[in-house]
Amino acid sequence: MMAMDPRDIPRAQPEAVPGRGGEPDLDGLLAQVARGDEAAFEAVYGRLAGAAYGLIRKVVRDPAQSEEVAQEVLLEVWRTASRFDPAKGSAATWVMTIAHRRAIDRVRSVTATAARDHLVAEPAPASDEVAEAVEASLDRERVRHCLDGLTELQRESITLAYYGGYSYRQVAGLLGATLSSIKTRIRDGLIRMRDCLGVSG
Amino acid sequence: MKLLRHDLHLLSGVYVLDAMDSDLERDRYQRHLARCQSCSAEVRGLREVTTRMAMAAALQPPSALHGKVLADVRRTRQLPPAADAQPRPGRWRGRLSGWLPRLALAVATAGVAAAVVLGIILVGTQHRLSIAQAENHAIAQVLAAPDARVLTRPTSAGGTATIIVSPSERELIVTTAGLRALPASQVYQAWLINPRRTRPAGLLPAPAGGKTRPLLATGLLPGDQLGLTIEPAGGTAKPTTTPILVIPLRA
Repeated sequence: MMAMDPRDIPRAQPEAVPGRGGEPDLDGLLAQVARGDEAAFEAVYGRLAGAAYGLIRKVVRDPAQSEEVAQEVLLEVWRTASRFDPAKGSAATWVMTIAHRRAIDRVRSVTATAARDHLVAEPAPASDEVAEAVEASLDRERVRHCLDGLTELQRESITLAYYGGYSYRQVAGLLGATLSSIKTRIRDGLIRMRDCLGVSG
Repeated sequence: MKLLRHDLHLLSGVYVLDAMDSDLERDRYQRHLARCQSCSAEVRGLREVTTRMAMAAALQPPSALHGKVLADVRRTRQLPPAADAQPRPGRWRGRLSGWLPRLALAVATAGVAAAVVLGIILVGTQHRLSIAQAENHAIAQVLAAPDARVLTRPTSAGGTATIIVSPSERELIVTTAGLRALPASQVYQAWLINPRRTRPAGLLPAPAGGKTRPLLATGLLPGDQLGLTIEPAGGTAKPTTTPILVIPLRA
């Protein structure tokens, strides 16, 4: 993992940081969106579109397709805002769950393209591919730090599955491990990440 | 059984990464989640981890995206709140009482084969309520979707299949009545058939009184057709027999 000079990290906007005080706001914004408030939707867009798009790009890779998926996802947020239930998790989590699922749907529905075949040959998308990222650098730094705390197998399993969009059977194939060991590594790794990031369970 | 349970618990991480191998596997885990409180608590916590991973991947979105999304927003009607959106103490009863009127309303709205569908689904609900909580909730959502349509077709194995499809929810429900009974070694399997790729969409439950409990299929794509085949018990990854039914689901 590449070390990162903290001075290179642009300052995160406080309201762009999830789970640190900004969160109740985002929940409240979504409630307003559910009542048809377009201005509230624009605010949600401002806070989460970058993360949704960046996540989708990681999985889908192709910029034009990623944009399409992001458009679908953000419209879905508007359309189904009334179904957001804060008891089940944060607003950011709700949106990112939709984004990730739609990205996965896209890559699994398209017949394996040359690009993805190529990707199989060259696995492990680099975790520092987000140089052009514009916000949430604190998150990036913390996630990187916590990923670094995992065993290699845990880290690779998690990043291949989440950012690479591979099923755990495909991950097992790529890493030459058994299915049950990948399943366990992923769970153990995420639990370690949870504790490292200090998110509430 | 113990072993199986234990195995299911370990799938929480794979589940939050959307890395399940098949929709079948995911559906099975979701049913487990509906019953396992410690699992849903764990999933909640692990999902916050994936959210941080998502935030860490943030990129500047293409500048055109903002305008496209806002244009979509201006011409798209929002879903009304789900009947059970409010957390309530008698969770069980709450769900059911919220669910049935919605179901009745949705089916009445859909207008076709109303009595048949309602009958089938009620049988299912009463028998399998405790197992199928999550599934029922999802089914209610399909029924309540503004674009839900009901299609009923005969199959070449006798009987009929009734499909309720919602392109906007990208989900559909399959129920059947009067299909030929199968030996224990075989099962009816549903498929989403697409020129690009055919995906397994779930196994029809064993029939009760000649009818099968509703099967929820997710991940519907434009151009999909629904197919039913007879497969060896446990299902297969690809259809191995001639379908007894193929219905276009034209969105």
